[in-house]
Amino acid sequence: MSMMHAAGVNDAAKATNVPPTASLMRWVIIATLPGIATMSYFFGLGVISNVLLAAAFGVALEAAVLRLRRRPICVTLNDSSALLTGVLLGASLPPASPWWLIGVGMVAAIVVAKQLYGGLGHNPFNPAMVGYTLLLVSFPTYMTLWAPPQELIPDGLWAQIAGTLPTAQLDSLSGATPLDAFKHKGDAVLASEFWATSPLSEGTLNAWRWVGLAWLAGGVLLLAKRIISWHIPVAMVGSLVVLATLFYLSDPSHFASPLFHLLTGATLFGAFFIATDPVSAATSRRGKLLYGVGIGALLITIRTFGGYPDAVAFAVLLMNLCVPLLDLYSVPRPTGQPKATSGKPGERL
Amino acid sequence: MPSAYDFPGGIYPPERKQRSSQATLIEAPLPSWVTLPLQQHSGQPATPCVARGDSVKVGSVIANREGMISSNLHASISGTVTEVTTAQITIEGDGLDEWFRLPSLDWRSAGRQELLERLNESGIVGLGGAGFPSHIKARVVERHAIDTLVINAAECEPYITADDLTLRHYPGEVIEGAQIIAKLCDAQHIVIGIEDNKPEAIEALQQALADSQPVPVELTVIPTRYPSGGERQLIKKLLDLNVPSGGLPADVGVLCHNPGTLLAIRHAVRDGQPLVSRIVTLTGEAIAQPGNRWVRLGTSVMELLEEAGVNHSALNQVIQGGPMMGKSLLTLDTPVTKLTNCLIAATLDELPPPPAEAPCIRCGECENVCPVALLPQQLHWYARAQDDTKLERYHLFDCIECGACSYVCPSHIPLVVDYREAKSRIRLQRIEATKAEHAKHRFEFRQARLAREEAEKQARKQARQAQQRRPSNTVTPSTSSDKVDLRGLRIAHAAAKASVKKAEKTLARVAQEDPKQSLDDLEMQLATAQENLKAAELQLAQAREEQSSEESP
Repeated sequence: MSMMHAAGVNDAAKATNVPPTASLMRWVIIATLPGIATMSYFFGLGVISNVLLAAAFGVALEAAVLRLRRRPICVTLNDSSALLTGVLLGASLPPASPWWLIGVGMVAAIVVAKQLYGGLGHNPFNPAMVGYTLLLVSFPTYMTLWAPPQELIPDGLWAQIAGTLPTAQLDSLSGATPLDAFKHKGDAVLASEFWATSPLSEGTLNAWRWVGLAWLAGGVLLLAKRIISWHIPVAMVGSLVVLATLFYLSDPSHFASPLFHLLTGATLFGAFFIATDPVSAATSRRGKLLYGVGIGALLITIRTFGGYPDAVAFAVLLMNLCVPLLDLYSVPRPTGQPKATSGKPGERL
Repeated sequence: MPSAYDFPGGIYPPERKQRSSQATLIEAPLPSWVTLPLQQHSGQPATPCVARGDSVKVGSVIANREGMISSNLHASISGTVTEVTTAQITIEGDGLDEWFRLPSLDWRSAGRQELLERLNESGIVGLGGAGFPSHIKARVVERHAIDTLVINAAECEPYITADDLTLRHYPGEVIEGAQIIAKLCDAQHIVIGIEDNKPEAIEALQQALADSQPVPVELTVIPTRYPSGGERQLIKKLLDLNVPSGGLPADVGVLCHNPGTLLAIRHAVRDGQPLVSRIVTLTGEAIAQPGNRWVRLGTSVMELLEEAGVNHSALNQVIQGGPMMGKSLLTLDTPVTKLTNCLIAATLDELPPPPAEAPCIRCGECENVCPVALLPQQLHWYARAQDDTKLERYHLFDCIECGACSYVCPSHIPLVVDYREAKSRIRLQRIEATKAEHAKHRFEFRQARLAREEAEKQARKQARQAQQRRPSNTVTPSTSSDKVDLRGLRIAHAAAKASVKKAEKTLARVAQEDPKQSLDDLEMQLATAQENLKAAELQLAQAREEQSSEESP
């Protein structure tokens, strides 16, 4: 076996090596900071309290299950993966979501989707997205109302603790996300007419764009640090943009522009932070490309024709289901193996 | 990267070659005793041909090669044999260092057979690590045309500088050794592959290349990257040829040799000096005088390290070979063999044990560095689950065990250990399956023999009856149920004939493809088919006889 390990090498070469698993997770958490900061700038401190609450739930639940499973608690918690799941789910929820909503989501994510399958490395589905999907399907009212920017202090935080919806009641449209609003504009309304009515409260669209760009910045950091590979984000965004362009060109009056799809909703967050979860993604480089393309295609399909305004969670979970198949059919050909396997397998040409 | 061709993956571990490459090459002191294991090569261990108390000179044969793949063993010091066991021979030195040399051979005029015999007599094996007997390797031309001889001077593992020093001191001799092998294999080209971190060796080679003949020698400098010294990787890099999976470089017309081996070949042919010493790199932070030494085979590792000034309090482990693929020695009371290219006396800080293993998160970093383009993360999964079907589907046996995947794994999983375990488990299963298959074939042979004997007995009986019948002229009444199935027998006879032909063909093909393989089982299958044919012939003849005797009256 090799006596040399990248982690044990105290040379200049170390800088180019991949950091150990625990610090991989920590780097992802660090990379979420620009996105979270931008979100809280536009949507208030409710974003940060969401993240903190979800992270706390994550660590506590992970510790509890590890105890039940009689596994070492400290060593496992040290890998920060539960913390990361909390941060990701917290950042996906509407600001200042009720505490019990976050709790239910984290139980689904950590206990069901992760630990019941065997813990880190063994979960077939992305834990944060399992939690998110459960909440979206079970509590649609709580999950679709995004309070407009800058209206959450102090009412929002109080609502979070009390476990109710934000007290500053909003009519359903003004609290909706841009994707939601556009989806429910109705077939009779043309896109140009829809935008002319200024359907969103002031600044909302801009806020979402800035948030998207902040996630992009975090993603670029992850790519630069070699924490994630480019395959999934590029394939996912690429297929999304290509399909959205095709739709848009076919009928600009009813389909949203590619830029709209790219910068609003959870596209960039999903591309860099959700779809890139290595555990539940396809594993080979070719598999990752297919996986990314699949997510992008499902995302645009569900957004355009499905019942939900955004679909990162559904698209990722559906592609998680396809991973075993993708892995099976994307095995690279090792050097020295014949190009085509004609006749008996393993027979040399 | 300037090279036009490339293999996938690879890593850039710290080289740490400076420590041993700075010092000049010196002779290690003559050991007072040596222990020579009978197996210092791949294949069968050698058989001792000396007894306790025999006096030997340096270069006297002390053990003969046994079987096809094996190698002779020679005394590496002059003195008295003190112990001969089934595993090793111990010689107590007399300090005189008296030599026994074979006559010098002029390789340009010597015949092929003569040269092969010299390599055989001199106990030359591949000094790069595998220890494959060189005279067997040279005979590969009997089955494959060889176009290019590659001198593998990449030496890509960290720490090791033995080939570097060999080339710096003996560039001409190494190239001469290559010319000898090129002559033996009718190679048209010689290509030297060397990593760019050995400027002095490259310069020495360039000077030596000028007057090398008859085969043209080309020097290719490749960028430093682990594992470019892997046989397949180097061939890909230098010649853009892919050695087929499960095959040998000879399948693509290439033969690979290590500079140390070529130097030993040159010494064996020109100087008549058998393989009794080699260049060993002594390095590591725990050694005061690192460097390369000419070491007599059988010298104790302990003595060698002591002489180089090992600091026992700082010493954590001694690694034989490189830090990527070598083994940590369990005891220092072990001799230097033909395969010992490097000894690393490492401190704890220098090569710390890996941190605790974390779960695989399938990050795919191992896939990025695998020089064979495997999926180490998937192999890990299936190796732990002992899913052998999947392991073979994911080409476990193409793994060259270079350790690049373990090196980069962020979860510190000892991947190569898993693969080695899985490989040996599967090999064992295959051997078991073959054994069962062979047992079945032996049983079938016995059945066939019994059937043939029974048929013979019947034939004799029939002949007797026919003789008895003729004088008395009584006809035995035959009923329709007794009527022989002549057609069926004819078909059986034809089938038996076909299976004999098939068995003969298989045997001939396998014998031609791989003469190393044991053919006992195939011979047995052929014998079975022949017995069946004989039985069928007899039965058919008998049936015809019966029919004709029925018809004639």
